[in-house]
Amino acid sequence: MTGADQQASLEGVLKDEILRMYQEVADNPDAEFHFFHGREAAEMFGYDPEWLDRAPAGAVDSFAGVGNPHERAELKPGETVLDLGSGAGLDAIIASWLVGSEGRVIGVDLNPSMCHKAQANLAATGASMECHEGRMEDIPLPDASADVVISNGVVNLSFRKRRVAEEMFRVLKPAGRISITDIVSGRELSQSIVNDPKLWAA
Amino acid sequence: MFELLEDAGFTNVRTAVVPGFQFRKASTRNAAEAYGVKAVMITATKAEG
Repeated sequence: MTGADQQASLEGVLKDEILRMYQEVADNPDAEFHFFHGREAAEMFGYDPEWLDRAPAGAVDSFAGVGNPHERAELKPGETVLDLGSGAGLDAIIASWLVGSEGRVIGVDLNPSMCHKAQANLAATGASMECHEGRMEDIPLPDASADVVISNGVVNLSFRKRRVAEEMFRVLKPAGRISITDIVSGRELSQSIVNDPKLWAA
Repeated sequence: MFELLEDAGFTNVRTAVVPGFQFRKASTRNAAEAYGVKAVMITATKAEG
């Protein structure tokens, strides 16, 4: 097997593991995971409690971010926001409140059932979002289609982060911006972690 | 990540540590500490024109 074949194989297994893990967070929000999630995590990262009271419980309970991308996104009314890895939709819901009815929120998620869940959660707030099933390495949007890309704990899941950075750049309009929160490592991960999709997805 | 964003063409790349981030399980927390794992906020812009 060539290096490229091996990476493609690992990526396929990783995709399955990511789908399994985050579907489990969505389906069983009361379960205990190795990361904090739900309202407990959102409050830890400084989400406005009023937002969390106002958002549908299904979006808050399934929140699995690692920070608060809204803290520095400075979203303005009328802007188009792409939420990369939109999950159950909490960040997209908050974005929809900030950009208002003149704005637009677009989600992209690996898992089509999470897209449906996020759209239902937004609909419950009276807002709406487009959501596309897709990979962050091949964002299913045209060039220059968003003012802002937000993302929360997602880019680290990719084996091809350089490609993700290029894709975020491509879909942004000139003068567009990103505000993402993510996990980084200060040391190179051991090969045993890199080759273990369960650990990588974690 | 910082370098990847700059290589992609982004400017004004800024990072800051997410205060308070930690893993729930002690075993994961210990492994993360050993590898210097942390959560960061990253902002960057795409230059006009």
